[in-house]
Amino acid sequence: MAHQPDASTRFGLPWRFPRIGRASVQQVARREPAGPLQWRDRVHSRLVVCAALFAFWTAGIEARLVYLQVVNHADLTARAERQQTRTVVPPAKRGEIFDRHGRLLAYSVDADTIAADPSEIEDPDSVATSICNVLDGCTTDRRADMAKKLRRRGAFVYVARQVSPAEARKVKDLSLPGITLLKESRRYYPKAELASHVLGYVGLDNVGLGGIESAYDSQIRGKDGKVLIQTDAKRHALFSRVERPATAGADIELTIDQYLQYIAERELRAGVAENHAAGGTAMIMDPGTGEILALANWPTFNPNAFTRADDDARRNRAIQDLYEPGSTFKIVTASAALENHVITPETPIETSPGFITFGPRIIHDTHQYGLLSFTDVIVKSSNVGAIKVGLRLGPQLLGQYVDRFGFGQTLAPDFRGETPGIVWSPDRLDASALASVSMGYQVGVTPLQMATAVSSIANGGHLIEPRVVRAILKDGKRAEVAHKVLRNTISSETAATLTTIMEQVVERGTAKAAQIPGYTIAGKTGTAAKLVNGRYQKSDYNASFVGFIPSRKPALTILVVIDSPHGNGYTGGAVSAPVFKRIAEAALTYLGIGPTLNAPPPVLIARHDATDAPPPITRTSTRSIVAAAEPATSGLMPDLRGLSARDALRVLSRIGLTARMNGDGFVISQAPEPGAVLVSGDTCDLRLGRRPPVGLDAGGAQE
Amino acid sequence: MTAMDFEYAIKKDVRNNPIVREVDEARQRQLWRSMVIGLFLVVVLLFSAWQHFELLRHGYQIERMQQERAAEEDVNRHLRLEIETLRAPRRIEKIATEQLHLVAPSREQAIVIERVTPAAPPEKSVVAAR
Repeated sequence: MAHQPDASTRFGLPWRFPRIGRASVQQVARREPAGPLQWRDRVHSRLVVCAALFAFWTAGIEARLVYLQVVNHADLTARAERQQTRTVVPPAKRGEIFDRHGRLLAYSVDADTIAADPSEIEDPDSVATSICNVLDGCTTDRRADMAKKLRRRGAFVYVARQVSPAEARKVKDLSLPGITLLKESRRYYPKAELASHVLGYVGLDNVGLGGIESAYDSQIRGKDGKVLIQTDAKRHALFSRVERPATAGADIELTIDQYLQYIAERELRAGVAENHAAGGTAMIMDPGTGEILALANWPTFNPNAFTRADDDARRNRAIQDLYEPGSTFKIVTASAALENHVITPETPIETSPGFITFGPRIIHDTHQYGLLSFTDVIVKSSNVGAIKVGLRLGPQLLGQYVDRFGFGQTLAPDFRGETPGIVWSPDRLDASALASVSMGYQVGVTPLQMATAVSSIANGGHLIEPRVVRAILKDGKRAEVAHKVLRNTISSETAATLTTIMEQVVERGTAKAAQIPGYTIAGKTGTAAKLVNGRYQKSDYNASFVGFIPSRKPALTILVVIDSPHGNGYTGGAVSAPVFKRIAEAALTYLGIGPTLNAPPPVLIARHDATDAPPPITRTSTRSIVAAAEPATSGLMPDLRGLSARDALRVLSRIGLTARMNGDGFVISQAPEPGAVLVSGDTCDLRLGRRPPVGLDAGGAQE
Repeated sequence: MTAMDFEYAIKKDVRNNPIVREVDEARQRQLWRSMVIGLFLVVVLLFSAWQHFELLRHGYQIERMQQERAAEEDVNRHLRLEIETLRAPRRIEKIATEQLHLVAPSREQAIVIERVTPAAPPEKSVVAAR
């Protein structure tokens, strides 16, 4: 048999196939007597071991996965979210505060705050120095404080809050590691000191700390939002999802008139300066509605930098300070006496010998007046006369009227921290105390209470709740604060009698300095020695004057209280009455209230085109002072543009039209157009806006 | 078989050019189908990748625009604040009196203008006839 080359030889391969034939199998069988398939068992066992290891491995992985995805699910999800998402809280915009004509008084803008992550800062001192160098007015102490903060352990510290945009830009340019800039809402008062005591101020954490800002904080503050931002590996914002939008706070419309407020502040400041006084209060009120048109205090402060002002400057004297009103309180005594017919204006009262005694106590008049009518007792401000009237009234009756006029109780819900005042119980009033109360001593009142009481005489005997908030604007809706009559104090007849007496106080009495030619003014002066440490001072007085003008159709109640004047006298007539006069003059001119005595003929301007089609509205239009009455022509559509919604409705109802209104505030446009021929039962579409259209100041039509 | 025969068997020039391999139609169709499906999957993959990257790009763009909008609104608020600051009565009076040397009008100089109520309007018919 020829040699048969095996396949490896045939194909020239370097290795050889095992020669498996009967002989070789026999040889294997001889070497491994246990069995020919023994290797299979060995491989099988190895495979089993490998499979077991593989199973352990997979089981380990599965266990780990279960641990991570089930047991640790919540924790890891939270960690992933922390890494991949950022939560930003957009601060709610604090509501704005306007005056009664929509002029802005308080506003919020975003300001930059410098914050730091101390763990990322290696050299706190050098970082603090760098930041301090770019901040205005950074002192050594402040720098040391900054460095101390940066040395703290923790992930976050404020370095400087609410810095100016220029300062923030400089800090950003420094590119300091670990230093970041955050946005925070900051409150600004663009008119600075104007109405600062009414507005109050807001702290760094956007919380109102005084005035309206504090009293209406829950409504003005709004609600912060929440935005989830998905970030990439470099922490750049990729997507954002608004979880909860920031809700802006409500806007507040005050009864304050910016210009009247400015006048009151200016004249009060001048009055305090020229009398070398310690301070003062001036207030203008609408006696018919109880709306406070101006409320000024001196000293005052800038709410933009309220931390630099002391407590004395921040105190709202008009509602927080008590003073003994002195003779202005004789109005209450007179009201009680006249209302109860205890006395008439003509009743003679003997004031001789110019003083009255209560045991060891002697109360003097400034002059010996002799026999006076009750009118003259008030006009000349006789203490003895007022005491005698008070004694005739008795403590119960006088106490009842003190209470009716709102003394000894808080009146204004718009102010926090209002002092109720000090009023003695009638049961505790002996003759001496009754005498004191009759002439305005031994009672503590606030200027607000006194102005409110005198307003009730001006309006015919209604004590109206004094308000400083006129309306609250939220979500485009304006909720007007209703006027509230607290109670009737006196009858209208008594009010008229008292007004006549008070007119004579200005005409020929102690308040001649308050006279304004052409106007009738009803008022009363007051001079009260200040009580310090239980003793009445001989050099410090509260000089006050309160009155209303024009007295027969009162538009304004004005109160002026000057604290401790040391210049041109110390009496209310010499110190406060001139301030009253200056405020009243400017206010009357501003409000366009014409003289009531010997009035010059009014300048009448008739609209040229009263019966023609209305002229096109231009910025130079004089329609604000020249206007047609409603309706311009019967059968034609009146011009309602510029009227308030209420007035427009009144006009439309009078001419038998129905209105369909869109919006709030003043009429901006109307359909049918002014001058269009009317059809009975027609509907008028009114588009309203918060401000009257340019060139139309409240009234294309007038009532 | 000797080595020569084996070598011959390997080196034998086999001419099988004339042999034409028959096209397998079924396999061809399957191949095309597979290619179309593969192409479709690739297109889907590319489309989804494009979508993803577009989404990312637009996400960045939206965020940037939102930041720009917020910055503009911030500027707007600052400008409004500046306007209101410039409108402060005290500042205006200071400019009026000190720079422009204006004086407040006295009571005699101020004229109260009263509005006029026109006479009774004509009848509607008269107006309509006009």
